[in-house]
Amino acid sequence: MIVYNCGRSRRMAKPTDLVQGTLDLLILKTISLEPSHGWAIAKRIQQVSREAFQVQQGSLYPALHRLEQQGWIEAEWRPTETGRMAKFYSLTRAGRGQMQKELATWSRLSAAIDLVVQEV
Amino acid sequence: MRAFRIVRLRLRSLLHRRNVECELDAELRFHLDRQIEENLVSGMAPDEAHWAALRTIGGLTQYQEECRDMRRVNLIENLVRDLRFGLRTQSHSPAFTAVAILTLALGIGANTAIFSVVRAALLRPLPYAGQDRLITVGEVRSQQELSDTLNPAFWNASYPDYLDWRTQSKAFSSLAGFTGDGFTFRSGSQAETVFAVQATTNFLSTLGVKPFLGRDFHVGEDVSAGPYVAILTYSFWRSRFGGDPRVIGRSIRLDSNSVTIIGVLPAQFEFAPRGNAQIWVPLHIDQDLATRRNLRWISVVGRLAPAASPVQAKAEMELINSRLAAAYQVQNSSIRVVMVPLRERIVGRVRPLLLVLFGAVGFVLLIACANVANLLMARATGRRREFAVRTALGAGRTRLASQLLAESLILATAGAALGLLIARFGARLLIAAIPQTLLDSMPFLRDTHADPLVLAFLFATMIFTGVAFGLAPALELFNPSVGATLKDESRGSAGAMRTRLRHALVIAEIAFSLVLLVGAGLMVKSLTALLDRNPGFNTGRLLTFSVFLPPASYPKDPDAIRFDQDFRNRVAALPGIVGIASTSIVPLTGGGNTIRYVVEGHLTATGEENECNIRDVSSNYFSTMGIPLIAGRFFNDSDDTAVGPMRVIVNQAWVKQNLPGEDPLGKRIKFTYSPTQPFRQIVGVVGDNAEAGLDSPNQPTLYAPFLQDVNPFINYTVRTAGDPAGAIGALRVALRNTDLQLILITPVTMDQIIAQSPSVFLRRYPSLLIGSFAALALILAIVGLYGLISYSVSQRTRELGIRIALGAQRSDVVRLVVGEGARLTVIGIGVGMFVALGLTQLLRSLLFGVSALDPLTFAGVALLLTLVATAACYIPARRAMRTDPIVALRYE
Repeated sequence: MIVYNCGRSRRMAKPTDLVQGTLDLLILKTISLEPSHGWAIAKRIQQVSREAFQVQQGSLYPALHRLEQQGWIEAEWRPTETGRMAKFYSLTRAGRGQMQKELATWSRLSAAIDLVVQEV
Repeated sequence: MRAFRIVRLRLRSLLHRRNVECELDAELRFHLDRQIEENLVSGMAPDEAHWAALRTIGGLTQYQEECRDMRRVNLIENLVRDLRFGLRTQSHSPAFTAVAILTLALGIGANTAIFSVVRAALLRPLPYAGQDRLITVGEVRSQQELSDTLNPAFWNASYPDYLDWRTQSKAFSSLAGFTGDGFTFRSGSQAETVFAVQATTNFLSTLGVKPFLGRDFHVGEDVSAGPYVAILTYSFWRSRFGGDPRVIGRSIRLDSNSVTIIGVLPAQFEFAPRGNAQIWVPLHIDQDLATRRNLRWISVVGRLAPAASPVQAKAEMELINSRLAAAYQVQNSSIRVVMVPLRERIVGRVRPLLLVLFGAVGFVLLIACANVANLLMARATGRRREFAVRTALGAGRTRLASQLLAESLILATAGAALGLLIARFGARLLIAAIPQTLLDSMPFLRDTHADPLVLAFLFATMIFTGVAFGLAPALELFNPSVGATLKDESRGSAGAMRTRLRHALVIAEIAFSLVLLVGAGLMVKSLTALLDRNPGFNTGRLLTFSVFLPPASYPKDPDAIRFDQDFRNRVAALPGIVGIASTSIVPLTGGGNTIRYVVEGHLTATGEENECNIRDVSSNYFSTMGIPLIAGRFFNDSDDTAVGPMRVIVNQAWVKQNLPGEDPLGKRIKFTYSPTQPFRQIVGVVGDNAEAGLDSPNQPTLYAPFLQDVNPFINYTVRTAGDPAGAIGALRVALRNTDLQLILITPVTMDQIIAQSPSVFLRRYPSLLIGSFAALALILAIVGLYGLISYSVSQRTRELGIRIALGAQRSDVVRLVVGEGARLTVIGIGVGMFVALGLTQLLRSLLFGVSALDPLTFAGVALLLTLVATAACYIPARRAMRTDPIVALRYE
């Protein structure tokens, strides 16, 4: 199980940072399907990855806020199915482009890792 | 599109902070509630569900802080918050704040004051167009073993040489000459002496200056029979003519001539080499000065041609000089051409002084910073719990560090604001402490004010100090042991790094104050040595003044001689006058003629003759001045007559140079400026006396009878029985009784001449300033040491109590505490000595009669520091000694 829990040292991490980069990618991918609030995003990543990824609140929300501040995603307060107001995040047009880019990077990276790993 | 979104978000974060924060709360709250719900669904009890959710989530506030970070406007928000918090913190401890601000204000203020002077003197260009192209050029003789050779202010040229330079030089687009003179200016029944620059007509245009009213000199106005015209300085025009623009074309009386005013110089015009001049007139030189190639009296300033470099100009001038030497072997064969930028001539002498002061005051600032850093660190100790709590609550170290820096910047800003006031006041004091006559020669110093550059300096100093002393306590936050603070607070063991840092600061303070104390000690010693130097004559109760005999009333030598005799008889008859003598030059006022001569029987090639000072003095000059007779006799009244026997008196330096080991009496010398000069017999040897200034070496000097070379400008020295200044009134009356139209020119006592002389100023001024800086530094350093030791004692109360309980003697405790201070002091002194050994070399040019490594000064200062430091440690040591073991052990 991979626990996304950002430590202090990662606060200023650059986008090349593998772990942070992948969390961003997971978030972007998740909300590209439908706008969701933080809790739903965390749950969804957990479910889809068959509990492999457990996203901690401590890394999720800073990541969401960062992506929002970078203009990749936008937020909107909307009622949930239970009627309570929650902050829903959705991709912006720029965010969609960014996601494509990160997806491509990820494929290249995982393919490369596969190559190395299978060689052994 | 994306950029707009980002800007909008940032602005929202800044301007609608409250909403953004509420949303963040709500968002996280929502998450928490969902977690609780989930826990409940999984069958937990409500309470348990709540706590479990909180546990999974972890430090809420930390996440909030991290989310805030993502907004990227934290820097601004935090700064504002830090500043607000800082202000509040400062107001909690007014005493600390006041001490810190005052210390900084003194440091910053003193630095800014000195910088404003440095700015006015060294950084401000001369107020002439293309001022860096102006060069001062002069001729010196290689035989002229006079200190004047080194001082560009005394570089002169002969008029024929100057004219040849003008016609032959291509590297200079123009060469202009000037000299100075005093005139008797009459308006109504009032007469006063005004100083004038006599210049070639191209002078102002060479400087690139235009009169602001009227016109410049015309070509051809600087000939001996030229028209009498004058250009007024702005201040003279304002004070004597009420700033009346119709003054152009009016006539004024200068000496006995009617002179037409043709122009007024701009208000900001200055010419430092003749800073006291109130009017400018063209040169009206007589045939003698115009044609004699070996009379060097005119100062020359040239403007480099657009394409020429100083090096080219130098090479060209040397070429011209060698041509002149070939053509006029007798006059020019041993002449060297010297040149430096005009700026160098003007500020060269004060530069080392100002740089030394600037360096010294910089040390004061460093000490002030160290002291405030120490205070802050001591206080930070009291705030450790606060920091620990804030760290536990989620404040990052950088956040705390920036908080500390914000606090120190608040202190620095307040210090700088107060410092600006101190600087303005200080700069005024700095200028006021300069004697008037010297200020005249440095008119640029009057321009000392807080201009943008000075303010920028103040600002930079403020930031530097704020960071410098704020950094020390902030750095400590990165000390890994900080986390343990909450636990070990009561143990009172200061972190090793903290202690080391504070020790280092105190050591630095002691070292810096040692450097300043040594500097001050050396300067004071120089000053005393200078003032203690026997100038070779009795300076007490001596008054000097001059009289100018206008040629119109005194056309021939006998007329002047008659006046001189008559006037001196009248003065000698006055009560309270011990004696009055005439001389061509008053010692310690600088300047004076030199003469070339050969000693009978000595083979000397033409042009290679020795040159020495020549003074024309009346027969009672030596007795009036108190110059001792070494051998032979003084002049008597039969020597001092216009056609008397050709006799001279020499001083000891002259004998040492020309007739070492021989009896000079009866030897004969001949002046070489004209082939018809007769031999003159040496009748006496007198003691040496300081000529140009108290710091100048004894120079070979010849004395000739006054009446054999009468000059219309006569200097008198008067020995009085009482206060010499009190005799001025009576002397004025005596002069008026002798000739109604004459005035007493610049009456001044010898004590005043000495006090205002550059040589004394160059020592007294830095003695005063470095002395005050050193005193300030010493106080700051001792306060720092005292603070550190007191603090250390208060931290060690328990330990000391245990020691005493276990049987330590009180004296052991004192030794322990004083020992800690002594160790720091000794290290500080050691480091300071090392630094001082290097830095005092920079003082060298200002020292007199003392070596830059004077062991007595070094040892004395070290001793003084040790004593004061020990005393400072002794106070807390006594407190430690009185520690009651019972109380100390119960202390916890």
